[in-house]
Amino acid sequence: MNFKRIVQTLSFIGFLVFLWLAAFPLTEFIPVNAFLKLDPVVFLGVGISARSFTPFMGTAVLILGLTAILGRFFCSTLCPMGVTIDIADWLVRKASRKQSKPLPWNLKSLKYQILLFILGAAFGGVSLVFLASPLSLVTRLFSLIIYPVLYLVGGSALTAVRPLANFLDITGIVYTHVSMLRFDLQWFTVSLFIGIFSLAVFSPRFWCRHLCPSAAVFALISRRPLIRRQVTKECNQCGRCQKKCPMGAINDDFFVTDHSECIVCMTCVSVCPEKAVGFPGQSINQDGHVGKISKDRRRFIQAGASGMGAAIITLTSLNHLHGDTGPGRTSNPAVIRPPGALPEKAFLARCIRCGVCMKACPTNTLQPMGLFAGFAAFFSPRVIPRRGPCKPTCNVCGQVCPTGAVRALPLAEKVWAKIGTAHILRHKCLAWEFGKKCLICDEFCSYNALDFKMVDDIPVAVPFVDESKCSGCGLCEHNCPVQARAAIVVEPMGSLRLATGSYPVRGREIGLDLNLRRGRGDRLVHYQEESTILDDTGLPPGFSK
Amino acid sequence: MKKSPFPEPWFHGEIWSEKKLDRREFLKKQLKGALLITAGATGIYLPKPILASGVPDIGIARGKPGPAARAAVGLLGGMKSFVKPGDKVVIKPNITFPHPPEEATITNPLVTRELAAMCKEAGAARIRVLDHPVEQAQACIQATKDALSVFKKDMVHALMQKDFYESTPIPKGLKFKQTDVMQDVLEADVLIAAPAAKSHAMTGVTLSMKGMMGLIWDRMTMHRDYDLDEAIVDLCSLLKPDLVVVDATRVLSTGGPWGPGKVLEKDTVIASKDMVAADAKTVQMFQWYGQRFKPRQVDHIRMAHERGLGRMDLENLTVRKIEV
Repeated sequence: MNFKRIVQTLSFIGFLVFLWLAAFPLTEFIPVNAFLKLDPVVFLGVGISARSFTPFMGTAVLILGLTAILGRFFCSTLCPMGVTIDIADWLVRKASRKQSKPLPWNLKSLKYQILLFILGAAFGGVSLVFLASPLSLVTRLFSLIIYPVLYLVGGSALTAVRPLANFLDITGIVYTHVSMLRFDLQWFTVSLFIGIFSLAVFSPRFWCRHLCPSAAVFALISRRPLIRRQVTKECNQCGRCQKKCPMGAINDDFFVTDHSECIVCMTCVSVCPEKAVGFPGQSINQDGHVGKISKDRRRFIQAGASGMGAAIITLTSLNHLHGDTGPGRTSNPAVIRPPGALPEKAFLARCIRCGVCMKACPTNTLQPMGLFAGFAAFFSPRVIPRRGPCKPTCNVCGQVCPTGAVRALPLAEKVWAKIGTAHILRHKCLAWEFGKKCLICDEFCSYNALDFKMVDDIPVAVPFVDESKCSGCGLCEHNCPVQARAAIVVEPMGSLRLATGSYPVRGREIGLDLNLRRGRGDRLVHYQEESTILDDTGLPPGFSK
Repeated sequence: MKKSPFPEPWFHGEIWSEKKLDRREFLKKQLKGALLITAGATGIYLPKPILASGVPDIGIARGKPGPAARAAVGLLGGMKSFVKPGDKVVIKPNITFPHPPEEATITNPLVTRELAAMCKEAGAARIRVLDHPVEQAQACIQATKDALSVFKKDMVHALMQKDFYESTPIPKGLKFKQTDVMQDVLEADVLIAAPAAKSHAMTGVTLSMKGMMGLIWDRMTMHRDYDLDEAIVDLCSLLKPDLVVVDATRVLSTGGPWGPGKVLEKDTVIASKDMVAADAKTVQMFQWYGQRFKPRQVDHIRMAHERGLGRMDLENLTVRKIEV
């Protein structure tokens, strides 16, 4: 295994481990989203559509700088998408047992068009980074498909050995449980990747050669990197290098290299029988042969304009989330954003749908969203309280977000990051409608936002929500025993979305009173004498005559 | 005040979380205690009146949590009369909230620990302390886990997955006829209920009977599809603990089950073989919302009595008390 392979393997393992560690509780000091920050399309696309370039993008700039010196080293060493595609290529080639048959036409300029399409859309104010950013795609694949599958398989294996473990009284195994991750819209990720992987029948690394917009950015910078492929006169014209080059970057005379396409994988060096190929720091001979990017300006302009057009059409969608309110604004009540999500417009501009927040969410409540809020919001995270509550003592989604679409709030701030408000559907409520003894919503509420009171004509105490105390966490909706739709539901009504500034400060200004009332490690809650609710019989709740 | 036949309590007033005994010291004290209790049970130590008749229906001990639990069980003949060597034991405390014991919403971990220790001394082959907390399972059981960390075996578990439960008919249930019960409970030779004495906004109190809801998977159906009190009685016709030890060291007199509410420091542990009697005695002994209640005023206790699951007619039951 050569040096490059070792770096590539380590980097891929690092990517997997980081993603694994994107979970609650978060391991501090581990930059679980580091890889996502290296992607130049994330950097450019988010920067342009959000109209702001913030420090998070520094690492991407560093990579770009290095690319000017080292060429597209990122693609062959750091990029987890590249590794994934290498593995897929290998599998596809094994399965098909055929030589790849190259497409008859040259698609190398396609990636530039994709890049320009995305940037055009970004100028138009709609971020379509999620469609093609390699790091977003590969993170999504592992977060939302691969890891959930592993969890399910692991969980089933545990279940299988449990009787034996129980017999042997190995409680460590008996009571280990794997909480299942389940995600919506798997088809989107799966079909996208089936498409990308099956392109291996045409050429290895088809995605990296022809489609990847980040590759396009790197290619533009690495037209003549400082360290680049050069061939000495020892070359005997055997042609192995050209044949083996996964990127098709070597011209027919074997001397000229299209450096924009070269990913510095060093395959040509290792296959050369004459040791005539190298990547020296300075020019030797034969230099000056540089491949050319197809300069079809018209196509590029068309691509950029199409992106712009796509953005404009998206903005005319009925359900597009403009982020303001007022008459005529439809806003789907199912769009509950994670706590600390920026105001909607900025949130959508920044969110790259990588799925890290969804993977990290301990209650699996963060789910990708369908098309019901327009294409611009497609696959962005939302809270589904029925699936899980927003855990009051967790702030992981903001901590792992690579672009700041969800703010990284300390826990004390997050408690105030109200994501919505619960309200009771009295016609479904066991107490209100059926006169049954149920107080589950109050039992679960961590914010003490529910009050039970006696009202006329109902034999049991019935729940009321104190909106100023409700954070919208959805513990009530999640646990409501009423079947199908819960009798207490959270809507994004009253959610607090701040681009800057303190949530508690703003929350208090608008009259909120959000306090986690209980929990181990919290200070002891002191009981204050208050008048107990007595019904007409003068009895406290639950007692009869 | 009657002089305690026992020496000073083993835990000298420390708050549950502040001081940790090391395992050896703990076991030494356990042994000492066990010897004293054995001595007591065999009549060497106990004063005459207590020896007057056989085993009482209800044993009540006052003192520090651990010693009181041990003494209350001792009044019923000690743990050895419930747990035989080689038995599998499930202890069901109420550990369904992530609150410190001072709030009186969970069973005092020292009571739970003492029960586990007594089961161990009685020769139990397997002891598991189980509950099905509402949320934040690990946080809920942590205080109890910490207290029981003196044992080598990790006993305390929250069972939050359906895999751990098995569909079981409730043959004597009137309406609630089927539920998923913890497999461990179905396998167990001995079930010990160790509820905390708490008020409950829907069922008046939550004690050993209501606490059985923590041994099943879907308790929501009990709220949704049945009268809650009736369903509790149906469930208790299936899940009858062999021993009930009510932790009334602190009583959550109002604001239950979650608190915060008025906490009465009562330093009391109530033990009985009869879950209805134990619950009835607990209702009668303490003030709830500043008032006194008769056991029959708690619907599920009255119904259980009427259906013959146990007795709430305290006046006809023998009660023995002890101070430790």
